[in-house]
Amino acid sequence: MSMRTFLTLAAGASALMAAIVVTPAFADDAKLEELKAQGFARVAIANEPPFTAVAADGKVSGAAPDVAREVFKRLGVADIVASISEYGAMIPGLQAGRHDVITAGLFMKPERCAAVAYSEPILCDAEAFALKKGNPLKLKSYKDIADNPDARIGAPGGGTEEKLALEAGVPRDRVIVVPDGQSGLKMLQDGRIDVYSLPVLSINDLVSKANDPSIEVVAPVEGAPVYCDGAAFKKGNEALRDAFDVELAKLKESGEFAKIIEPYGFSAAAAMSTTRDKLCAAK
Amino acid sequence: MEWDWDFVWQILPTLLEGLKITLLATVLGAAVAAVVGLLFAILRMTAPKPIARTTGFIVEFIRGTPLLVQLYFIFYVLPDIGIRLPALLAGVIGLGVHYGTYAAEVYRAGIENVPRGQWEAAKATNLSGRQTWIHVILPQAIPPMIPALANYLIAMFKETPLLSAITVLELMNQAKSVANSSYRYIEPMTMVGVFFLIMSLISVVFLRWLEERYARVEER
Repeated sequence: MSMRTFLTLAAGASALMAAIVVTPAFADDAKLEELKAQGFARVAIANEPPFTAVAADGKVSGAAPDVAREVFKRLGVADIVASISEYGAMIPGLQAGRHDVITAGLFMKPERCAAVAYSEPILCDAEAFALKKGNPLKLKSYKDIADNPDARIGAPGGGTEEKLALEAGVPRDRVIVVPDGQSGLKMLQDGRIDVYSLPVLSINDLVSKANDPSIEVVAPVEGAPVYCDGAAFKKGNEALRDAFDVELAKLKESGEFAKIIEPYGFSAAAAMSTTRDKLCAAK
Repeated sequence: MEWDWDFVWQILPTLLEGLKITLLATVLGAAVAAVVGLLFAILRMTAPKPIARTTGFIVEFIRGTPLLVQLYFIFYVLPDIGIRLPALLAGVIGLGVHYGTYAAEVYRAGIENVPRGQWEAAKATNLSGRQTWIHVILPQAIPPMIPALANYLIAMFKETPLLSAITVLELMNQAKSVANSSYRYIEPMTMVGVFFLIMSLISVVFLRWLEERYARVEER
């Protein structure tokens, strides 16, 4: 082997090594660069007002996408493109690269924190029940449902409410997985379920739109914690998440955050009074 | 993404629960389809013209619309007129009526394929209508129908995941709810595929046997 060949090889090898060493950091920033270049971020939403909503003309709104749109704009990503997904399919979809971030009111829970990289809290809400007028089964908490062998609860599959009901001891065959809000309300009206559970603001929105005097709301559910969501990024995109957090903090500080979410009924103070670390550690 | 056998063993009991419901829905659906199909076929062939016409229209209507739409209709719309069916029953009726229309065509083809001469010969030998059907027509019409009917049975079996749309906790829905809480799709969905493949392969062997068994009938 001549000296020259050796040097070329050595140079090549070290360049390769350098590339390997640099790659992780590079890949991290690359995600934001990639989003900037394509001009939009793909977000997963659920069409559950006021968290997320899709108007008849296809325009995406709701508190969570509105906040995300503003933050991404400040990061240099012009717009967001949303796809509607079931709650349970959002995290697998994120891991499979089908969307770049979840902005859907997906509440922070320890097992979710282990699966995705959350931003700081954005939207906070308690849980609520929609049920028949007069609350014939006297249901005030998930425990009440567990204790009444006739009570059937409807909840989104893979959602927080389904988990809360199962944790409270409601057997699987009395927890009906409901595909979306409209079906849930219909099943409640038809008497297929006795209670439909969603966050307070979602239930209020659904019930007021349905304008059905035979339905009433119990809110908040006794003993159920207040949850906050955050924008959820794929593990490995922490740099993008951190950049998102910086802009989100600025939004919160300037008061624009409150201007975006308060018209939807959310409390900015609630989101600002807690942190990701606290919510992810909560049991 | 990597395959995790421990996770597979952990979710297997849940999936088997779902498989039970899937098989139940298939068997009940097939029974409904067999009866409904016969009813449609008879009405279409022997009833007075207006009724036969109407039946023909209904059959074409059901065959021409997607099963998923029909399931939504049975489950979410019928309660508006006071008919509230449990999810599984709604699913069985949906599957049964949908595949009943296909079965009706199979019955009709089978019966119409019996040569006219057989009817004439039955009349010439002074057999009653009942005797003609039971001793002449049906024994010749039914065997060729069986493979075709079994084919639809397998097709129906593979359509049962649609029932997950109306909250029936069958195999697909169980797999989805497992995936919902574990954030993993690879094992549950693969296992669903494997279960369906195993059942279909068994059915195919059975179907071959049926074909051989009944193809020989003419040589008898």
